[in-house]
Amino acid sequence: MSVKTLDTAYQVTPSRWSRRNLTVPIGLIAAVAVLWLWVSSLNLDSIEARVLNAEAVRRAVVDHILLAVSATLLVVAIAVPLGIMLTRRWAKPLVPVVMALANIGQAVPALGLLVLLALWFGIGFKIALIALVVTAVLPVLRNTVVGIQQVDQSLVEAARGMGMRASRILRLVELPLAVPVMLAGLRTTIVIAVGVATVATFVNAGGLGDIIVAGIKLQRTPVLITGGVLTAVIALGLDWLGGLAERLLRPKGV
Amino acid sequence: MTFSRYLENRWDDLLEQATQHVLVVILSVVIATLAGVVIGALTWRSDRYSGLAIGTSATLLTIPSLALLALLIPLLGLGWAPTIVALVVYSLLPIVRNTVAGLRSVDASILEAAKGMGLRPARVLWRVQLPMAWPVIITGVRVATQMLFAIATIAAYVAGPGLGNEIFSGLARQGSANALNQAVAGTAGVVILALLFDLLFVLIRRYTTPRGIRV
Amino acid sequence: MSEHGVRIQLDRVTKQYPRQPEPAVDNVSLDIPAGELVVFVGPSGCGKTTTMKMINRLIEPTSGEITIGGENVLALEPNELRTRIGYVIQQIGLFPHMTVRDNIAVVPRLLGWDKARITRRVDELLELVGLDPSAFRDRLPKQLSGGQQQRVGVARALAADPPVMLMDEPFGATDPITRDKLQNEFLRLQKELRKTIIFVTHDFDEAVKLGDRIAVLAEQSHVAQYDTPGRILAAPANDYVEGFVGSAAAIKQLGLMHVGMLTGLAELSATSGLPTVRSRENARDALDIMLRAGTSHVVVLDEQGDPRGVIGFEDIAGLLREEVSRVGQDA
Repeated sequence: MSVKTLDTAYQVTPSRWSRRNLTVPIGLIAAVAVLWLWVSSLNLDSIEARVLNAEAVRRAVVDHILLAVSATLLVVAIAVPLGIMLTRRWAKPLVPVVMALANIGQAVPALGLLVLLALWFGIGFKIALIALVVTAVLPVLRNTVVGIQQVDQSLVEAARGMGMRASRILRLVELPLAVPVMLAGLRTTIVIAVGVATVATFVNAGGLGDIIVAGIKLQRTPVLITGGVLTAVIALGLDWLGGLAERLLRPKGV
Repeated sequence: MTFSRYLENRWDDLLEQATQHVLVVILSVVIATLAGVVIGALTWRSDRYSGLAIGTSATLLTIPSLALLALLIPLLGLGWAPTIVALVVYSLLPIVRNTVAGLRSVDASILEAAKGMGLRPARVLWRVQLPMAWPVIITGVRVATQMLFAIATIAAYVAGPGLGNEIFSGLARQGSANALNQAVAGTAGVVILALLFDLLFVLIRRYTTPRGIRV
Repeated sequence: MSEHGVRIQLDRVTKQYPRQPEPAVDNVSLDIPAGELVVFVGPSGCGKTTTMKMINRLIEPTSGEITIGGENVLALEPNELRTRIGYVIQQIGLFPHMTVRDNIAVVPRLLGWDKARITRRVDELLELVGLDPSAFRDRLPKQLSGGQQQRVGVARALAADPPVMLMDEPFGATDPITRDKLQNEFLRLQKELRKTIIFVTHDFDEAVKLGDRIAVLAEQSHVAQYDTPGRILAAPANDYVEGFVGSAAAIKQLGLMHVGMLTGLAELSATSGLPTVRSRENARDALDIMLRAGTSHVVVLDEQGDPRGVIGFEDIAGLLREEVSRVGQDA
């Protein structure tokens, strides 16, 4: 999935998103409520009932969120230090190389990567997690680099002129000012992680993909709808949280 | 079986799947471009409506593809139909956004000059603004195309066409001799197609951009 | 009590960038007396900023020696050196995510001052630059006007009371009215603080107005003339300097002379209807007042506003002649 597309999408209309502050979560809760009412009003056959039992659905939701969130945290743990490193003076020549690699990597379909990893190293949660991290790492990495590079050089010079050491300039000036851009990348990473987590079902890593796949295999509309709606709700919900973080963690004055 | 032997044996099949992959992507991108440019052209004047159009297409892009496909099956069944609809939906954001940005980027003095010459708004849009915004729009189309090559692999699971089938059958035959060959062929095929089309877009952009504004 | 300035010496300082045919700064020697404001003036790209930045080692000299108060800067740890030199740049460079207080406190914190001392110092500095501490302390830079931002920039540079300040076109980005105001305030401040200041500008009029001395720099920072504004105006060393001084050198020079310098004022007779000028205003203002009023004379008032005498065109012309011949003898 294209990273550029996703993250610039959010930069277009920040104010509009903030006005929809609460409409998004309320709408999502309403969607889940309607789904629940609709499913409970149905006379589920035994197959549908087996897939859609509360415990199975709860598990799928938890697994899905767990997978997406742990992948996101891992991405942050890897990409932020790496991105910072790439902006240090001695690493300058590496930047184009890393970015070119990352951009080619972006053309690799997540599904293909997931299946290849599974065939090489076996199936399961860990393999899915690795695939997720690889697929979702670029936005945070690139935005960390770009975020630090876009800091007004006159501020860095002012800081140097006052006698601040490179490490202190990074901590007090560059990183705080890069935070908004980094958070935009984080939001994209979350969206990709949630999306790829859906496909994790194909390597037995659980998540809501299980329910969707069951719905497709069994050709049961209620199962399909439940899986589809819940996945969409989680994706939009986590994205909303990402947007919230973007607003709350943005330093004042920027 | 070695990968090269595999390629030799299955070349015709792979070529057909690659062709279908390309076809479904092109078809979707063409539809999305028409729709996206129309939406952009109708809304660019108003912050509210263009914001709504962009916000909605951004929201749609947030929905994981397997989930969207699942939701489309009850309406459209399996195969090409849900695949194309999903792919069109996913390409809207870059195209609409770039159309709006492109149309807005046209210098106000040029618009005034066109108006001053007596051109009607529709004609100004068609003859002046769209050609000038074209490089930006085509960039959006390029981004969308890149994205679709990857997403289209997943459509194979709902009986859609393309190289995704190769990946899925590799997965299904896990443990058999050809499983890895199939997965590699499918994945590499998608990457190669995506990169080829990226190059193609450089040319398309060059030859469809009016000469006066080529850089 | 603030620390007064110390002497700065540049001795055959050169900056040669790799893979460039010519040095950016070539063999510059300058002696900057303690407590003076010296303006480096020259066209853009002449190396004046590079020369200045070698003093706080934002740019490392290739060869030559720089001393501040007798201390060789190249022997000091660069960051330690920079905490002792105030630095103001054209873009101001206030950190947008920090309040005014935090911006000013950057260097004191680097130096490990305690909280109470920092608070006191911040308020003291805000008052010094004419901003009400209670109103401005907690503001963010974006909540300040351009002029206020520049004042905070100066306060920040003064935070640790450095003996030396480097200022790189600090008023360059402000509108003419604000700029004039900031210049006046800054002059008043400097009168009190007596720091050693190196001030870079490409605006010769600004150099004349602010500088105790002006170093007119040519390509590669070659010193074309290094002298007081009055002497540069009266006796430009060469065509280059003359070109830089520009037209109306005499008028610019009048701007440096107080009306009060005039001796032997004519008797006060029939002064009614004549315009007035205060004795601390300069001869250029007096001339301007006469021209606008359409008179050939103007009444000089003392500090209390009482008339002291009358001056006319001839007096002003005479004053200029005297100055030129005085400078000629010096030279």
